[in-house]
Amino acid sequence: MSAHYPIFLVVAPLMAALVIAIIARERPGLCPPLAAIALTASLWSAAGMLCRVLAEGPFSYHIGNWPPPMGIAYEVDHLNALVLVAMAAVALINLITTRQAVASDFTGREGYFYALYLLFCAGTFGILVTGDAFNLYVLLEITSISGYALVGLGHRDAALASLNYVFMGTIGASLYLLGVGYLYLITGTLNMADIFSILPRLFGSKVVVAAFVIAMTGLFMKMALFPLHGWLPNAYSEAASPVRSLIAPLTTKTMIYVMVRLGLYVFPPDFTFNHLLFAKVVVWVAAAGIVCASVLALSQTSLRRMLAYVLIAEVGYMVGGFWLGNRMAITGAILHIVNDAAMTLCVFLAVGSFTHQLRDDRFATLKGCFRRMPWTMVVLATAGLSMIGVPPTCGFFSKWYLIGGALTADHWGLVAALIFSSLVNAVLFFRVFEIAYYEPFADPHQEHRPALSYAEAPATMLAPMLFTAAGLVGLGLLTGRIVTHIIDAAIPAAIL
Amino acid sequence: MKRLGLLAVILFGALLVYGTTDFPDWGDPSSPAATHLSPYYIQHSLHDTAVPNIVTAVLADYRGYDTMFETAVIFTAGLACLFLLRVFITPKETEASGLYRHRATGITLRIGQGGRLPLGTREFERIDSQWVPYDLIIRTACSLVLPFIQLFALYVVAHGHHSPGGGFQGGVIFGAALILFAISHNLRTTLKAMPEKRTNILTGTGVLIYVGTGVLCLLLGGQFLDYAALAGLLGVDPVMARSHGILIVEIGVAIAVMAVMVSLYYNLASAGHMDEGL
Repeated sequence: MSAHYPIFLVVAPLMAALVIAIIARERPGLCPPLAAIALTASLWSAAGMLCRVLAEGPFSYHIGNWPPPMGIAYEVDHLNALVLVAMAAVALINLITTRQAVASDFTGREGYFYALYLLFCAGTFGILVTGDAFNLYVLLEITSISGYALVGLGHRDAALASLNYVFMGTIGASLYLLGVGYLYLITGTLNMADIFSILPRLFGSKVVVAAFVIAMTGLFMKMALFPLHGWLPNAYSEAASPVRSLIAPLTTKTMIYVMVRLGLYVFPPDFTFNHLLFAKVVVWVAAAGIVCASVLALSQTSLRRMLAYVLIAEVGYMVGGFWLGNRMAITGAILHIVNDAAMTLCVFLAVGSFTHQLRDDRFATLKGCFRRMPWTMVVLATAGLSMIGVPPTCGFFSKWYLIGGALTADHWGLVAALIFSSLVNAVLFFRVFEIAYYEPFADPHQEHRPALSYAEAPATMLAPMLFTAAGLVGLGLLTGRIVTHIIDAAIPAAIL
Repeated sequence: MKRLGLLAVILFGALLVYGTTDFPDWGDPSSPAATHLSPYYIQHSLHDTAVPNIVTAVLADYRGYDTMFETAVIFTAGLACLFLLRVFITPKETEASGLYRHRATGITLRIGQGGRLPLGTREFERIDSQWVPYDLIIRTACSLVLPFIQLFALYVVAHGHHSPGGGFQGGVIFGAALILFAISHNLRTTLKAMPEKRTNILTGTGVLIYVGTGVLCLLLGGQFLDYAALAGLLGVDPVMARSHGILIVEIGVAIAVMAVMVSLYYNLASAGHMDEGL
């Protein structure tokens, strides 16, 4: 059984999605438990794979019993085992938390919702585990299409936001595919390890340069790096809340993982960081992106739109850190993939709780929320402190590594951008806390102040949210172990 | 903004042209694509899988996992369309709206929202609001052609091992046949012949056949999608089992593709109402 974990991880949600799609109309009640079982199986496999990697080192799974590069192989190493556990946990927690919200937002289509949800997860897990550059594209397609559909059925302008997302996402994915095509043209193979071993002979080739730039640009579009972020704010704020808290932690972080995978294990790190001017340009673009996104976040009037811009700034953190190309900064970037997934889940679950209980998340509605929804505010406050970077929450530690890496590289631009963004995050979140702490002003013409009813979310929503919030602190306390045991082994020894 | 877009396009075009300058020559037999992996497939595919068509062997066996997910992508597209477009409100039996023709006299009635038919539904038939006169020639011609198209679709599916074809192409041809039926008759007649419920079930079932075959290989002690593990079950040697395994998954693909085509047509043509539309 344990030998088949890599395939089990992906096939369990895929099969469950197919079964759910068949029974969706007749037995909608069976769909959520089935989805939960499938995602638990995925999480179990992911955890099993992490244990095996820690005990025995990286291993691969040959699908159809064809050895790579003839067939497709799944390659499990420290890097993707870590990210997989985080993503599988996020998908499962979100599924459990949002059950009521799904029932009210998608009445009559819950079955199809859960089928698309599982397809999205299967695609994401597949992207994380695959060792084949084209297989990655196929899985990217499945993730994207189910994502577009899920976003499309949300708030008032969701269809338009989704259409915009379709255009940008399709261009991004096509660019990645074009890059893979160029690589195939020059190497004759699609297997990542095989490409990695052939490329050093071809450093001078213009095709490799073009493939590199095209594929990376495509990924930047999919991950919403600053000037290419146009689709993200609307798609994330118009989506229904269960979709938002699924897609926001998974999509951009998965794409950043793909960038790391491509930069370290498909293109040799020497080529990625030193051969072209590209790396230096990207770090500056990321720094500019962090600053611009933070400033834009200041001007938003609803919590979810504000968070969408914070998310774009976070993408800048990871991209900037990775392209600095030194060990400490890359450690920070990889650590931040996990931490940011957890933080994003946490804040968007809190937003989901507001929209479910209060039907709105504009700042004006949040007045008095510390009294009305104390536990949800605890969750939001923990996530907010983590995004600002207050110890012992996990956000502090990844930012510590990122800033340390930027200092090592003497890149003061990125250091300044990271600190600026932290300060802006502090302003953003403390403004929210202040609004939520004070109750609305009494109407001077009325005798009584408007009574604020207690409107806390039900326990079934709260328990997983509090668990996630505790997880942010837990991840922070475990940072040392994660870095020494997992991330250190995930970065090639050649990078200092 | 427009200028910025133009600049981006020009820069990108320049990058593509820059890349092409180092391309291997057109049809160069010594290019990496022709020397690295292709020779293995050309020399071994028949020996490995007993399938004469190399494309089929690569598509459904060596890289069968990609194909499984391509089928799942098509399934997802169908599901996405259903999820977004389908209107999940069923009108009551007695209520009727739209155009109705009295079968005996040919008189057409327009019935408004919430109205009901005067003589009971039996006497009337529902017709499309953009009604086109009954065309004997088109209906008869299409009905005559249909069985042959469907037969050809089955041939394409079954003959994928030896000639261009396979599940995707066969499925599309079969789906196109049903859509032709819908266009030449009307949506309601087609829905009677091929109910929406059936297309939904077939969509999932088709992909399940593919995934299920993979899981069956797993249960029989092989790797996922290792058709050789089916040898004992099929009563043939492992190489022949690969050939049969490919046929099984191709049938799954054909069912899924056919059902998704029809489901997409139903949802798009009737805007999710499943009552009328071209």
